[in-house]
Amino acid sequence: MSTKRHWYLPVLLTLTIMVSACGSGSATTAAPVATQPAATTAPASGEPVVMKIGSQFPPDTLNPAYAFLAASYTIFDLVYSSLVKEGLDGQYYGDLAASWSHSDDNLTWTFTLKDNIKYHNGTPLTAEDVAWSINEIHNDPEGWATLVNYTNGFKEITALDDKTVQITLDYPISNMEYRVSFLYALWRADFEPLDTTEALQNFTNDQLIGSGAFSLKTWEKDQNVLILDADPDFYDGRPVVDQLIFQTFDNSDALVQALKVGDIDVINLVPNSAFETVKTFDNVVAVNLPSRSFDELIVNSVRDDNDTAPTGNPALKDPQVKLAIAQAINKQDLVDIVFQGLGKPGWSIVAPALGGGFWHNSNVQDVQFDPAKANQILDDAGYAKGADGIREKDGVRLEMRLQYDATSSEYARDADLISNWLKDIGIKASPEAVDADTLIAATTGVGDYDLVIWGWGGDPDPDFILSIMLCDQFVVGGWSDSGYCNSDYDQLYLDQQKSGDPADRQQIIWKMQEMLFKDNPYIVLYNYDDLYAYRSDRFTNFQLDQPNANITDALVLQHAEPVK
Amino acid sequence: MNRRDYLLRKVVIALITLAVVVTLDFLLFRVLPGDPVRAVIGRNVRISKESQDALRAQFGLDKPVFPDQFFATLGQWAKGNLGISWSLRRPVSDILTTKLGNTLLLVTLGQTFSIALGIALGLFAGWKRKTAVDVGSLTFSLVTWAIPTFWLGIILLAAGSTWLGLPTGGTVQPENIGKPLWEVWPDVAVHLVLPTLTFTVVYLGEYMLIMRSSVLEVLSEDYILTAKAKGLSHWQVLRRHALKNAMLPIVTLVALNLGFTVAGAIYIETVFSYDGLGKLFQEALDKQDFPLLQGAFLLLAVAVIGANLLADIIYTYLDPRVKAT
Repeated sequence: MSTKRHWYLPVLLTLTIMVSACGSGSATTAAPVATQPAATTAPASGEPVVMKIGSQFPPDTLNPAYAFLAASYTIFDLVYSSLVKEGLDGQYYGDLAASWSHSDDNLTWTFTLKDNIKYHNGTPLTAEDVAWSINEIHNDPEGWATLVNYTNGFKEITALDDKTVQITLDYPISNMEYRVSFLYALWRADFEPLDTTEALQNFTNDQLIGSGAFSLKTWEKDQNVLILDADPDFYDGRPVVDQLIFQTFDNSDALVQALKVGDIDVINLVPNSAFETVKTFDNVVAVNLPSRSFDELIVNSVRDDNDTAPTGNPALKDPQVKLAIAQAINKQDLVDIVFQGLGKPGWSIVAPALGGGFWHNSNVQDVQFDPAKANQILDDAGYAKGADGIREKDGVRLEMRLQYDATSSEYARDADLISNWLKDIGIKASPEAVDADTLIAATTGVGDYDLVIWGWGGDPDPDFILSIMLCDQFVVGGWSDSGYCNSDYDQLYLDQQKSGDPADRQQIIWKMQEMLFKDNPYIVLYNYDDLYAYRSDRFTNFQLDQPNANITDALVLQHAEPVK
Repeated sequence: MNRRDYLLRKVVIALITLAVVVTLDFLLFRVLPGDPVRAVIGRNVRISKESQDALRAQFGLDKPVFPDQFFATLGQWAKGNLGISWSLRRPVSDILTTKLGNTLLLVTLGQTFSIALGIALGLFAGWKRKTAVDVGSLTFSLVTWAIPTFWLGIILLAAGSTWLGLPTGGTVQPENIGKPLWEVWPDVAVHLVLPTLTFTVVYLGEYMLIMRSSVLEVLSEDYILTAKAKGLSHWQVLRRHALKNAMLPIVTLVALNLGFTVAGAIYIETVFSYDGLGKLFQEALDKQDFPLLQGAFLLLAVAVIGANLLADIIYTYLDPRVKAT
């Protein structure tokens, strides 16, 4: 799966600054409990406080076993609990866990639960439920495809007593808190009977039961309306807002108009083209925040000895050709024209916004847009222009497919611009819109393409996005679509996973980025901003100035307050 | 040929058409690129080959499209079973019924207003030919007919929600979803105002133009002159002699439009996030949900063919010559 922006983000929590809350060697660590302010008191009696959140993207499913769209994870974040969660400041705080610690060798992690935790149906939640849920995910890699990676390296998950969960590991894991933050406490009675992958995949979980700050009231799939009620017994304090209504609009103009006239209170992801207009509305605050997402130009880097022989233009194996392509693309223009300036040119798959900038290698200077130089590079490499202006060397013409996911209007415009820039340097790249499934089939494990424009949304930790470049991910059903394979890179990936010290890990990750930058399996184009807007005459305290702000984050919505 | 034979022939032709459409309907979606199993499993790429095959078998996709899948589907349809939607995991007939209700509400209101207004305006304009009334209504109709539905919908949505406080989308307020119609009808009505208005304006022009030219044509006939010579009033001429003959093209148009509007005013439903059939078509196509697509298109085909049949029947009453052809 190649994820595309808010579409198929595998996960959607917030940024991390330090992956491991505890430095290596510290035997036990007091949990940084409640980095977040406790929820304020219950609202005064009277009209219930209802917040309406408008969006263009409904959840794909409420079953976390196969949910891919960001909107689904927004709901999971609000309704499910996990042992720890990431705070708005990037630190992990105890969600179900009151405290946690690990052994000297980092191989045994012990979590102690808070008191009085109940599922939304009133049943007490015990350590046994948590251990069962994590085991359920860990033991069924096929059924739990979207979450199982977070349990890689887990050896045993057990409940020592009602309030203690212990996880033992095969090797030290540097980002343990991040890992467990995605392992939800499931309602066992629903999931236990699903004993085959098919049964799990057919289960819709429309009556989702969790133990988080909000409980699911209704999900009307026909109307694409989802209603959550505040859980009065929530262990961290009842949310201030009584009810959240998530409403989907099929039309972006209607969405924006709805905020203008006050039909909704919040827009989760304002359309780029409307952002400037939304800013001018009375009583509306519009905010653009840098995201971890990026779009890239995938360059076919599949090795010739692949099971299915790649069909990419052989010239794409030539580093000089890749460099010339990178040099011919005006990334700033892409941001300005396609995203109305709401983003920044980028070069790394580890976005600058990821982890507050801790993981992004800022020492690397991106290649600059310079068509003359790009032409020079190709001239020097022996690619001569033919009568029609297309370059050729040893019978190989620089003529290639330029495909993109048809669902995105931005990709279409990217493709147009890039195709023109490449024409200027004697490369004929013909844009072609392709549906996402076909594109997945042509890229992952196969290599039946030349150039593809696509994008990724990201996790709060760089681990996942770095994994898409591993050799063994280039299989049908794997994450790699470029076919990049470099054993040094693979080794560094393993090293960073086990590195206990954040500074060491940072150095390894920086090195990996340099490698990718040099080899160019992806020419990363830009990081676009996430755009939010809300009615400031209705609600306040969205904490969007926090490093991890995201308007649908559970913490943000738990603490948002109505304007008196 | 008497009326019975004529109708019988029309019914037979309608049935043949339906059979052809059903076959095409089945085959058409299967030549689309992409793997429907991908849609079923929600892009879960990690799922093993075996599980994918099991899912294929579950949905009958492991067998050849023709003849196995084809006859299996026909067999199900013959029993009145449209299958289970892959993406929504609910019976297709249930989904269609829900959406059909909403769409019919919108379409019936919209068509009624546009037909009534269009015919009245066309009749008036034809009668008062070359006056300011004629020029005005002609211009208005040409403009509204030419306006893209989507654009008009957005303009009306912006204007209506800003100045009149009308809702910006949906069929009811979120808190009223699932409640019975008799409890929430004022809310439903308010939500229908803008979509209906858009519908009316968009279709009105077409009816008006056809009606006007039809009236003009009829009014130039000799028998109208004769009627006038007999001393009948303008109104009597119009009502007794002109109207019935001028109605023929409108009946065709109404019948055709009625059939197609079951598909839902796709644009209007999208602009107003209105939960109807039009939106369903789009979503089903997106998700390559074959059972849902087939069910929806079957409904559309039946509606269009049925409406045409209805037009043929009405013709036999309006125009005695039809029976002789």
